[in-house]
Amino acid sequence: MQRRQITLEDGRYLIFYTFDEEAASPTPPESAGDEQAPARVEEPTAEPQATEERRV
Amino acid sequence: MSELRWNPLMGEWVATATHRQTRTFLPPADFCPLCPTKPGGFPTEIPEPTYDIVAFENRFPSLQPEPPAPAVEATELYPVRPGVGVCEVLVYTPHHNSTLAAEPVEQIHQLVEVWTDRFRELSALEFVEYVFIFENKGEAIGVTLHHPHGQIYAYPFIPPRVERELEQSRAHRDKTGRCLLCDILAGERADGRRIVASNDSFAAYVPFFARYPYEVHIASARHLQALTDMTDVEQRDLASILKTVLVAYDKLFDLSFPYMMVLHQRPSDGGDYDYYHFHIEFYPPLRTATKLKYLAGSESGAGMFINDTLAEEKAAELRARVAPVVWQKEGSGD
Repeated sequence: MQRRQITLEDGRYLIFYTFDEEAASPTPPESAGDEQAPARVEEPTAEPQATEERRV
Repeated sequence: MSELRWNPLMGEWVATATHRQTRTFLPPADFCPLCPTKPGGFPTEIPEPTYDIVAFENRFPSLQPEPPAPAVEATELYPVRPGVGVCEVLVYTPHHNSTLAAEPVEQIHQLVEVWTDRFRELSALEFVEYVFIFENKGEAIGVTLHHPHGQIYAYPFIPPRVERELEQSRAHRDKTGRCLLCDILAGERADGRRIVASNDSFAAYVPFFARYPYEVHIASARHLQALTDMTDVEQRDLASILKTVLVAYDKLFDLSFPYMMVLHQRPSDGGDYDYYHFHIEFYPPLRTATKLKYLAGSESGAGMFINDTLAEEKAAELRARVAPVVWQKEGSGD
């Protein structure tokens, strides 16, 4: 998980959380009883407007 | 204007936040403030054309980090304090017409990761004593925005309902040496009639003492106090059982089921709460496809709920609608 924090015009913070394809798609736990399906199509991510913090 | 006024009759704080009267109320989909801002389009709260999950400070907060001075003076009978705290909005997905139930387990797992990050960060604030993560879903609950989202209130005190759970949990531990919710969970697993679903890390059940017909609690199998105590496997199992419960809810009456979902975790005031046990509670307002459970005289005035249904029967209805869940899927919403 990655996070990028920006400050809005009125001073409030806003944090974008993004997830790597690799990290987000491990084999699901058997205990969950999940079944696999095709991966989602990700939309392109825009360039950040006002980067203040980036953390992984 | 926002402030905290003390209710000496009940021994609890009430937040006054008059500016919330003007908050956005059920805007048309084209003007949803939680959608991404598309190039040349309506500027929303989120100034980018797409996102995975977003957290931001509520534009109409009940509590804020630097609140204004109270509008009234405190007295001995009526203490008043600034409405200090944090109110955040968590937007689950850029897809306006989705719901948490419609999202794949993968997306719900990502939300669990974000919940954990927000809990950790807000808990570290000096003025925060309790981080409360919740979702109100559906007009029946009173939501003002349909876009899938939840909220976080970081309170400067432990809210009364959690405080009462803490007291009961502590008393049970003092009396028996055991955790109250561990005992409840063991009893539910042994009985089985009220279990809705379970996996290695969590069980979902209609509690013996359910106040709402389709009330469901999800408790961790391991004795832990907060999201930050979970392993990665437990976070994934939590996402999976959340999906299971949400899908069963939607299948009940073939409609997008309204609910309040609340996370009960340990306080963030630095105290030792090892006797407390993490769990999630769902309070759905529907008792049939078309009838609401109202909080009327007994519930609102006396604090005693009257449930017109049997928890064992409602659990069986939900259990019959449990289906395998999907970790990933092609697109969602819109």
